[in-house]
Amino acid sequence: MTFAVDAPTAAGIGAAAGAKMQTARSPLIAVKDVVKIYPTVAGEAVLALDHVNLNVGEGEFVCLVGPSGCGKTTLLRLLAGLDTSDHGTSSLAGKALNGPSEEVGVVFQQANLLPWFTVMENVLLPLRVGGARKTEQLIDQIKALLKVAGLEGFENKYPYELSGGMQQRAAIVRALARDPQLLLMDEPFGALDALTRERMNAELQRIWMASGKTVVLITHSIDEAIFLGDRIIVMSPRPGRIVRELKVDLPRPRVATEMLGNETHTALAREIRMLLE
Amino acid sequence: MTDIRTESNAMEMIAISSAAEKNRRRNVRFRNIGIGFAGFLTLILVWKLSVNLLNVPSYILPAPEQVVVALWSGIAVPVSSPLGWYLPLWSTMSNALAGFLIGALLGLFFGSLMAEFRAVETALMPYAFALQSLPKVAIAPLIVIWCGFGDGSKIAMAALLAFFPMMVNTFAGMRAAEVERIELMKVLSASRLETYRLVKLPSAAPYIFAGLDMGIVYALLGTIVAEFLGAQEGMGVAITKAQAVTDVAGVFAALVVLGITGILLHLIVRRVERSLIHWADRGKR
Repeated sequence: MTFAVDAPTAAGIGAAAGAKMQTARSPLIAVKDVVKIYPTVAGEAVLALDHVNLNVGEGEFVCLVGPSGCGKTTLLRLLAGLDTSDHGTSSLAGKALNGPSEEVGVVFQQANLLPWFTVMENVLLPLRVGGARKTEQLIDQIKALLKVAGLEGFENKYPYELSGGMQQRAAIVRALARDPQLLLMDEPFGALDALTRERMNAELQRIWMASGKTVVLITHSIDEAIFLGDRIIVMSPRPGRIVRELKVDLPRPRVATEMLGNETHTALAREIRMLLE
Repeated sequence: MTDIRTESNAMEMIAISSAAEKNRRRNVRFRNIGIGFAGFLTLILVWKLSVNLLNVPSYILPAPEQVVVALWSGIAVPVSSPLGWYLPLWSTMSNALAGFLIGALLGLFFGSLMAEFRAVETALMPYAFALQSLPKVAIAPLIVIWCGFGDGSKIAMAALLAFFPMMVNTFAGMRAAEVERIELMKVLSASRLETYRLVKLPSAAPYIFAGLDMGIVYALLGTIVAEFLGAQEGMGVAITKAQAVTDVAGVFAALVVLGITGILLHLIVRRVERSLIHWADRGKR
């Protein structure tokens, strides 16, 4: 495993001895000089990502915010192995990311559960395909995760029998099924109503704290980014660039009601809003 | 105390309203059956009246009761009687079902192949369209030349007619599979076969069932057409025989038997569909 010297989290090591996440950090993802160009239907090329550099430490929760068309989904698709970059490299734990990896779990905008399978069959799907290993240990872990996600007793229900929030929680469990090192989430709660979304944020924080995974999450919501993230990456549209990285120094577990009017929160929210304008 | 009372009141209200809903639905069902029955009676009445008032001879249009008599004369006989509906219907049905099975499987196979491989699509699509726009009944004489007057030509004709709706629907259904679901399989490094089996085929299931529904009726049609061109037994033969002696009531009776058979086959397909793809159209997410 190689350690990037300029890892933004390196400074945090040792400084905050009390925070459990920070002591374990070492760069898990390294994105270097990545360029992605999309051809449009009209024939002209669009520069979706312009020399993007990003390091994410192990166990870190990073939120990507930016207006539509800023390339955040493109960046996530590159990490998920659904697209390849035109220039630059990205690596996971020192290994180049050139395609889908067992060590990466993805949560889509829609829960994207297969309607013809039960919840259990859906969350076990990652162990069933792609030549994945299917160990007792992984299955036990999935069952434990279902419990954490509040889906106990719903294992044999079909997706259409579940609420939107429950479906998305099942999708998160599915993304964690192979016990990946990295969890990618593309606006996972965008389709939910505001109250459900807030509750889902708290649950995601709980699942994340219990699993200790590295998470990269895309969101349009500044509040969501501050509530969930250790670090917030603000991106600019066309060409997609990282304009600012902000550390969120708020204690965990964070509680929604305590965030209201919190000074750090207000200052961060104002800064991000100004960057996005 | 008050809380508990309100609660039980609420439960009662729920029970009452759900009972009312059940009642309402049953009433609607009864009303629909009533409307259907009234419509049927009106039709019979108009038929009967016009035959009597206009003095239509029975070799043009038989009266309803003559058709009923002809129908009954084929029912009230031993199963093995050559005068009954049972033997010709069995012959037609077994050929139609065998042809349907072959045609449906081939349609599923080629539809899948075309949806999965662009090259196959490019190579086969023009022929598929050409054959599709050809009135397939016109091919029947050729089929009889190739497959003879026996069961072969009946099965082949049924298969040919069942093939197209199945192929087209399988193709369309697989192409309609949601991109997100296919990307999910890609993220999981699933093989092409796994993606086909676990995502594309189930995605296409509603389309495939629509194809089966059409296909089974077409297969029956194909068998009858082949029987018209020459056969020893079957419903087509029964119709030709009745026609030869201007037994128009007999022709009508045979058509009624075929109509009922078609409806029953359609209902069976629908029943299987509903139990197999109960998840369709229920919440996209």
